[in-house]
Amino acid sequence: MPYNIAMVSDFFYPQPGGVESHIYQLASKLSDRGHKVIIITHQYDTRSGVRYLTNGLKVYYVPFFVIYRESTMPTVFSFFPIFRQIVIREKIQIVHGHASLSSMCHEAILHARTMGLRTCFTDHSLFGFADAASILTNKLMKFTLSDIDHVICVSHTCKENTVLRASLDPVNVSVIPNAVVAENFKPDPTAASKDHITIVVISRLFYNKGTDLLVAAIPRICEIHPTVHFLIAGNGPKAIDLQQMIEKHMLQDRVELLGPIRHEEVRDVMVRGHIYLHPSLTEAFGTVLVEAASCGLYVVCTEVGGIPEVLPSWMTVFARPEEDDVVSATCRAIAELRRGNVKTEKFHKRVQKMYSWTNVAMRTERVYDNISNAERGTLMDRLKRYYGCGVWAGKLFVICAAIDYLLWWLLEIWYPRTSIDEARDWPKKEVVVKDCKEGSGIRVGRRGE
Amino acid sequence: MPELFMPTPVAPTGAPRTAPPALDSETDAAAWNHTLQLPEVSDTEGLVMKERRKKHRSHHSGGKKRDWKKLLWVKQDYADNWVDPTFLKDLQRNVNVHPYNFYSLVAESTVVVQHLASAVIFVTSFVAIYMETVSPVTVVMVSSILTIAGWLVWDMGWEQREAAKERAISVRDMPSTPAITPAVTPSTSKGLGVDLGPDGKRNSGSYFPPMEPEKPVSVPAMDGDHSAQLRKSRILATAKSALLIYFTLLGLSPILRSLTKGVTSDSIWAIATWLFIANFLSFDYGSGIERNFPASFSTNAAITSSVVLASRLTDTSHVFSLMLFSIQVFGLFPVFRRTVKHQSWNYHVLLTVVLVLGAAGGLWVVVGNGWAVAWLFGVIVGMGGCGWWMIDLQKYKNEIHGPWDPARPVIRGQWA
Repeated sequence: MPYNIAMVSDFFYPQPGGVESHIYQLASKLSDRGHKVIIITHQYDTRSGVRYLTNGLKVYYVPFFVIYRESTMPTVFSFFPIFRQIVIREKIQIVHGHASLSSMCHEAILHARTMGLRTCFTDHSLFGFADAASILTNKLMKFTLSDIDHVICVSHTCKENTVLRASLDPVNVSVIPNAVVAENFKPDPTAASKDHITIVVISRLFYNKGTDLLVAAIPRICEIHPTVHFLIAGNGPKAIDLQQMIEKHMLQDRVELLGPIRHEEVRDVMVRGHIYLHPSLTEAFGTVLVEAASCGLYVVCTEVGGIPEVLPSWMTVFARPEEDDVVSATCRAIAELRRGNVKTEKFHKRVQKMYSWTNVAMRTERVYDNISNAERGTLMDRLKRYYGCGVWAGKLFVICAAIDYLLWWLLEIWYPRTSIDEARDWPKKEVVVKDCKEGSGIRVGRRGE
Repeated sequence: MPELFMPTPVAPTGAPRTAPPALDSETDAAAWNHTLQLPEVSDTEGLVMKERRKKHRSHHSGGKKRDWKKLLWVKQDYADNWVDPTFLKDLQRNVNVHPYNFYSLVAESTVVVQHLASAVIFVTSFVAIYMETVSPVTVVMVSSILTIAGWLVWDMGWEQREAAKERAISVRDMPSTPAITPAVTPSTSKGLGVDLGPDGKRNSGSYFPPMEPEKPVSVPAMDGDHSAQLRKSRILATAKSALLIYFTLLGLSPILRSLTKGVTSDSIWAIATWLFIANFLSFDYGSGIERNFPASFSTNAAITSSVVLASRLTDTSHVFSLMLFSIQVFGLFPVFRRTVKHQSWNYHVLLTVVLVLGAAGGLWVVVGNGWAVAWLFGVIVGMGGCGWWMIDLQKYKNEIHGPWDPARPVIRGQWA
């Protein structure tokens, strides 16, 4: 049964990033499968109002005040009136929020539950438990996720983390990984140098991306292997450390810094190399590793977060997040490549089979099927669940939920449902979507057409 | 809906390893029963995969379901929300927690008690001056004599430390003897005192650096003549800054006296109380002698508090005396206390006892017997009770670590 789904997140195009492309890819694949998907995000500069993307994907850019790194101000209730309008206009049944740092997503889930809709949440990142920011985010997560139908995490480690952070029942948390558009990451054996090995690094140059390890390891690798070249793309506060390292060890002709590159250019940079080095200190999934493997690069990466789950051991060399181990793992990878033990030309096809957005959409659809069939709780059940969140927080959450409920009734009286126009669906051709072979069958057209 | 719970590191569900993916115990399990029969990864290529393929076959011949693996790239015959018995097995709790020792906690609390006691002494002195039972000039005379005595002791310590460093340098410079660690001071600090080697930063001659530039203290191998000269200049500089403060205060006193004429005394007591609380909360109890002026906010709060209190007094000389007293108590005394703690643990304890008894005496004379008894009782119970409380609270400690934590990179210093 096709659903009307609203994806809500603070993070969406035109801002580039992993969450943004995840939402876009998932939404377009779901609409390919016959569902109606809209995306709700906040205003980006002058981009406000409704926009249509490819294939009739409708995006609502809601005017909202952005406080920090494209996150909106957490106001709890102010989003409700316009959210209700959108939901009623679009006849939404399922609200799917993305990214735990997006306050818009949390608010949408709260309001959706008040309105009796089905809710789902995808967590894309790992959080600690120690620092003040994490504690606050975790409390907020606990609030919204204590009354949610289902949660999706991008890796098993991410699931463990989310279950602990929001005190969830692990049965209500599914693991559905990210995917890559393999066609955009095709290998090109002619692009890479034939006479020396090139190591590619594409990452934002931040502390938690392990740039310090990179700065320490490059001169040692360059000394051990005099022909190895490095190609580093990305920008960030640690770029200056890299430049200093290059100057100090006089590696200007062997380490090339490309600066920030756009996502479309990633593939063109990757195919110029043989090895992809990823020294990150924390990572929920590591899409870039899959992209690199898809381009036919042998991957050297640190064994942190969800990274060990992402790629098979014959495509990767794992290292502990230590300078010595990163160096020795890279040297192992170089030796293996020189010996010809790694069949990098087969990587692309294998990755294509491992990760596809069609598969992600299909598994997400199963989550939707499940939550749509689950029984609906009453308001009292909801309040009880919020009450259990903590001695003080629980009471606060109950007050918030109760006010939200009253607000909903006020809105129903003040702006009744009947006076809201229903949006017309994007006119679709009778598309016949052939499910993946593991799917349930063939789906034709849209509901009511 | 299942209840919310905090999962424990052991298997959160009782599902046996070989059970079908659908969890029958759950209410909505029916929806998950349709496990997808995903086609297994066909490993027809890759040398490395040969072994794995054998494994697959052997598993299939047995008709047994393969074990769940914590992997994303392999398609498994388990539902996406499958909870394996290995779930959260890498969770670690309280790995970095080390238990506290009761006596060391009590010993550490003496620093707080000293500060509270000196503040109590200041406030009781103010009350006595305000009620005109004690002449402020007497108070400031006594405190000034004590301050000068304290400064002499402090200066002596400075000499000692310098001498120790000289010895260490001369020993190190001898070519025949092997180099020894110079972190030996004649008066080794006992107990919890921060042991600072002679290479650490030291107090310069003056309490007030803006009036005198920092002198280089690491003068190698001074002769006696040079040392005496240095000492002389140090004393001169200190005297100069002391006189400067003295006269500034003298000039400011008439202004301070009439500063809060338009404010009622009630407000002044309230403001002073809050400022003292700010002083207690922001005081730097932890730092050793390596810092000249730790926590400037706390000192400023105390001095401001004294300013508003002094503005209640009637006579200019009284205002001047109280301000001078407050600078001695809140500006200079903490430096002295830190030095004593660094030099000798016994003297530190002695000073604590003297201060607590002094505060009790002040309360006894000025406010009443009951207050003095309550103060003494409070100090003893507070020191013991807070230590015990702190240890008791440790049972709520719940530090969680796991693979999701950002790794700490291990980098071998500077590679050369």
